[in-house]
Amino acid sequence: MPKSSSRGADSGLRELPARRIVAAIGDAAARWTDADYPPRVRATAAIVQRTGYTEPVVDYALDRLFGEVTSASLTAAIEGEIGSLRALDGFVARDARPDAFARGIDGVAIVASDTTIGVALPAVVFALCAKCDVDVRDRSDALLAAFADTLTQERPELGAAVRVHAGIAPEHPRWRAALRDAGVVVAFGGDDALRALRSEAAPDARFVGFGHRTSATYVARESLENDAHARSLAAGTAVDALLYDGDGCLSSHAVFVERGGDVSFERFSHLLEEACAAVAVEFPRGSSAPAGAVLAYRDGARFRAAQGTGGVAWGEGGSYLLVIEPPRHEAPPLLARCLAVYGVDGVEEFTDFVASHAVPLEAVAVADPAAFPDIVAAIAASGAARVARIGALQSPLLAAEHGGVGRITPFVRWVTRDA
Amino acid sequence: MSGAGASPQTLDARILAAIGAWHADGSALDDGAFDALALSLYRYQVATNAPFARFAAAAGFAEREPATWRDIPAVPASAFRDAALATFDPSRAELTFHTSGSTGATPGTHFLQRAALYDAALLAGFDRFMLGDGARLRFLNLVPDPRERPHSSLGYMMGRVARERGAGDAAFYLRGDAVDAGALCGDLARAIADGAPVCIAGTAFAFVAVLDALAESRVTFACTPGSRIMETGGFKGRSRVVERGALYAELTHRLGIPGDRIVAEYGMTELTSQWYDAPWSRAAEPRVKTGPPWLRATIVDAEGRAVPHGETGYLRHVDLANRSSVVAVQTEDRGYSAADGFVLLGRDLDAPLRGCSLDAEELVARRG
Repeated sequence: MPKSSSRGADSGLRELPARRIVAAIGDAAARWTDADYPPRVRATAAIVQRTGYTEPVVDYALDRLFGEVTSASLTAAIEGEIGSLRALDGFVARDARPDAFARGIDGVAIVASDTTIGVALPAVVFALCAKCDVDVRDRSDALLAAFADTLTQERPELGAAVRVHAGIAPEHPRWRAALRDAGVVVAFGGDDALRALRSEAAPDARFVGFGHRTSATYVARESLENDAHARSLAAGTAVDALLYDGDGCLSSHAVFVERGGDVSFERFSHLLEEACAAVAVEFPRGSSAPAGAVLAYRDGARFRAAQGTGGVAWGEGGSYLLVIEPPRHEAPPLLARCLAVYGVDGVEEFTDFVASHAVPLEAVAVADPAAFPDIVAAIAASGAARVARIGALQSPLLAAEHGGVGRITPFVRWVTRDA
Repeated sequence: MSGAGASPQTLDARILAAIGAWHADGSALDDGAFDALALSLYRYQVATNAPFARFAAAAGFAEREPATWRDIPAVPASAFRDAALATFDPSRAELTFHTSGSTGATPGTHFLQRAALYDAALLAGFDRFMLGDGARLRFLNLVPDPRERPHSSLGYMMGRVARERGAGDAAFYLRGDAVDAGALCGDLARAIADGAPVCIAGTAFAFVAVLDALAESRVTFACTPGSRIMETGGFKGRSRVVERGALYAELTHRLGIPGDRIVAEYGMTELTSQWYDAPWSRAAEPRVKTGPPWLRATIVDAEGRAVPHGETGYLRHVDLANRSSVVAVQTEDRGYSAADGFVLLGRDLDAPLRGCSLDAEELVARRG
């Protein structure tokens, strides 16, 4: 049984009504939406230095990240999942069911072993909403520590409930103790990292693992109704693929385009190439050179193109790689700033491809999720946890679940009171 | 002599003559001779290898020829998966080698018309770089048995070397993907008792498996003086990776073979000839790869342009013994030029995706 930490009592967070916590977090995040806010300026520089992403990319990420953390979106997510904010404060009445209290679990450990910008921050925020004590180890440590300072300024109880383990190794005794004592472990990372963390956690701790996944784009023929719309979809697809160098699980690495639209597959591919060239200027490649695997994939595509099969577009300096119609028996190219484009006759071709390569999908972008129920149903059946709008794939909504898991529910333990 | 009309027999004779001369007395191919033969091969391959001709045309050589061997369009190694890159009917190939299909890709195929050409290139290089002292060794192979996997170039290579240069029968210890460390240990003990030096050849990953087994059973050997190791390949697609210096130190500790007797061979199924650690560079890091005179490498940047001497880039090989496929092969391996060769950096410099995106190797690992 994980040990309960006494830090919750020390922080005073449990005495605060949830609505005040939510408001304080929203206010702290609002400060971070200002690009000139000094802690953000410093955090931006640190992230640029550590990740190699360019400053515009980091700014874009921070705008999206903190712009989503509002009291309205926090409230919407919490009310949607557990009925009300008040359920976090004490027992609430429920229709035809016993009264219940969504009590925050005392010890929460959150760890992100990748360099995705601020990936752990939403989890920290919701754990605080649940009045949990949070230990967090994130490679974005400068960002999280600085945000924790802002939280302290808003409500000292919030800052007191968060402990950022900045720059320490996984085997550090302080971190291992936090992990061992946690009632909830939220982990972001690859298979090996998740296995190791799971083995370190208490046997009955709630383990919420977010493993590495990938995302894709599906363009229905009905959405290729005219050149202007197709151009807009191509622009959105390019953003979805190139932003963050394709490093995230919400980065698109493959585009499936239905043939038979008013705008042809070939024309859409051309528009996509133009769009990638434009987006590559707005969001340039990070500091690292293209990997040898990217060049090999490009060269293989060039060879096939010379044989009359498929096509290839290579941005200057490796700013993007677009490969048209790579062989279907090969898995999609899960490479930085690399996008494969497949022409399909229907969504079954997409789902068959995903199944044949056992691709773990995080999300799929479509032109208009509400307009294509059959396609959305097929995407859901393929294992994706989110159907996004093209161009917004990498801008997930805080009010929505993440990775198929609720935002607040992992951090609460329901206590019921019989009538 | 023009290569456009050269017959394969004529070309083979020229290549074999170059190999034979170097093998006999170390005669090198000068730049002019190398260039002439490379361009002859290019013309011949454009005329007889349709996929290569289309590739060369797309690379800007539809109406003109490369000026020198350095300009010959290099076919990406992955193209061996997409087309039969052969100057002859592949069904008549004397040797057919399959690539390992790393990271889950479909294996490629290298068709070789004449085994004699492959053998001559192989044995000349092996004699010079592995058996420079003329030793007769027992060959203990941690590579596929060619009788079980006839399309493994590594298996064929070691089988051929053992037959032509070995003292006694060759032994193979790879069973599927697993190493039969017990059988290897038994044969090592016998060789030591007989005072017979051995050559243990295998992939880095196979050596790690052997070392794990020896460590578990707390066994060490003191191989007979003159024994050596040929290590090849890397860890791609493997979950466990050991740094090469640490691997060699452990091999020395467990097998009693000095570090300068551990030689890294660098070859590719798509090539006929092999690179080896230069003898003069084996005592210190970094080791320099060197090869026979009919095999040259250039280092190019991401756009295929030659990089200045000493600058890191991607390896491009021109192998004149690749007469019946393509003479120039582009790899994704990184390295930099050094005196009389290059330093191989492999693919370790390639940073994986930094975020939460799945990468290709993880996908393969999950699919088992």
